[in-house]
Amino acid sequence: MIRLLKIEFRKILTYKIFWILAGLYFLFLTLGLLMAEFMINKQVDSINSRMPIPLPHVTIYFFPWIWQNMTFFATIRYVLIFPAIIILILITNEFTFKTIRQNVINGMSKAEILSSKLLLILIISVIMTVLLTLGTLIIGAAHTSELTLGLALEKSVFVIGFFVTMLTYQVYALFFGFLLRNTGLSIALFTLYNFIVEPILYYFLKSPLVFENKISAYLPVNAVLRITEYPSIQVLKTFMGITLQNSVTLSSCLLALGYAGAMIGTVYWVMVKKDL
Amino acid sequence: METVLAIHNISKRYGKIQAVNDLSLEVKKGQVFGILGPNGSGKTTTLSMILDLIRANSGSFQWFGAEPSKESRKRIGSVIESPNFFPYLSPVNNLKIVADIKNMGFEDIDRVLRLTMLYDRRNTRFKTFSFGMKQRLAVASALLGNPDVLILDEPTNGLDPQGIAHIRELILQIAGQGTTIIIASHLLDEIQKICSHVAVLNKGKKLFDGKVSEVLAISDSFELASDDLESLTKAIRSHPAFQSVTPGEGTVQIYFKNVVNPAELNRFFFEQGITLTHLSERKRSLEQHFLELLDNNK
Repeated sequence: MIRLLKIEFRKILTYKIFWILAGLYFLFLTLGLLMAEFMINKQVDSINSRMPIPLPHVTIYFFPWIWQNMTFFATIRYVLIFPAIIILILITNEFTFKTIRQNVINGMSKAEILSSKLLLILIISVIMTVLLTLGTLIIGAAHTSELTLGLALEKSVFVIGFFVTMLTYQVYALFFGFLLRNTGLSIALFTLYNFIVEPILYYFLKSPLVFENKISAYLPVNAVLRITEYPSIQVLKTFMGITLQNSVTLSSCLLALGYAGAMIGTVYWVMVKKDL
Repeated sequence: METVLAIHNISKRYGKIQAVNDLSLEVKKGQVFGILGPNGSGKTTTLSMILDLIRANSGSFQWFGAEPSKESRKRIGSVIESPNFFPYLSPVNNLKIVADIKNMGFEDIDRVLRLTMLYDRRNTRFKTFSFGMKQRLAVASALLGNPDVLILDEPTNGLDPQGIAHIRELILQIAGQGTTIIIASHLLDEIQKICSHVAVLNKGKKLFDGKVSEVLAISDSFELASDDLESLTKAIRSHPAFQSVTPGEGTVQIYFKNVVNPAELNRFFFEQGITLTHLSERKRSLEQHFLELLDNNK
């Protein structure tokens, strides 16, 4: 396992595109999380200018709800797409450079090739989870007046939700990468499915006349995004009638992990069947 | 002698094209085994199958007397088709990946880079290399850790004359250490210079295999005449090396399976009571011979 990780790290250590994308991801994520409250309140102000009774400004950085708010904003589609694209590039590179063939020739099994990419995904997810946890603890401590350890950790289960989201979403990317084998095509189709195909499916399937808003929740990307749902903001609760989640549910994690497991199985099956 | 590679009746079909057809081969330890055939004769497909890159439709093969596995592949160094490396990594880093895959240390990297004359460029990115340098790095990677078997698919393809000479010399040097080498080429001359054994492929089928000295021997032809062509033609059929006879204008053209010298041939007819009025030796080029080998088996 260590050997597989060493091999993967050597591939990315001096790979400029990886570090540029990773840097951009980190930058957007940090800026997004730090500016989320400001952006929401700007919206609130613009609503207030047309309303007789003004809404109060929101605060999202206080314990314990900061866990839910941070993990929600860190897992919106536009942010998640960054690590997914990194994974797509790293996997399809192996086909473009034909290094996957060379790795097999040199004595790697197909199972090892797949495991090495899964390990990479696991490590990226762990690193991001640790960073988000640290960031949340620091920001939360700075914004909470009566700080106790119990309060600070009360909703920290959302971090597990974040970890599962990162892990499964990147496995979806791995699925596209290994099956399509081409960098441009896989990025295009992955993005298309995420931002256009599934939202359209979601819209049609959620029509109460047809399925009573049930099946749409089980679409693969939606299943991942639902692990950490809407942030805990009173405005949303009151005005948009959204039922807020209180915690990360085991069933939502299992659904996403189930999809990811099926995709890993499919990728392995295709790898064994198809010539490299 | 220990069998390194045994191939039993493997076939591979791509749609309507039968790339490899019921091929069986055996390579023994220490042999320099050439697979000779024109483009599209199934050489690369065969090598890809024995390296687990593509699956055979039928048939089987064994490495070192056992079922093929990733462990057997670790004992083999290969250059197949184009050199495949990460373009943004230096040769040293590319070779470190290979060494990690093969579970070996990095001690050998400097040696193989020196052998292939790439040591001075060891820290420049692979994508800045010329084709010849890329091909040499592929050879370096195959040599890493002194593998038991070296598989080379058109190793001198795209190299300049100097590079070709260098690689051939290197192959002979490695063969001299007792390493088993399997080399695919469409160049008869290359196979003749390097190999001890050869299999000739055409359209996925094996035509011949055996020692290079036997299969590729220049079986000279002779143009003969005598007063009685008929008994000459009859007599020659009993010659141990006889292959075929083609009648000409007052002469006959005789082909032999292996090298026959004119004095010996003259004595043969004399003993049969036939006096030759004409005897001339015709030498054919290697290429001509190769084309004939392929032609005779259409």
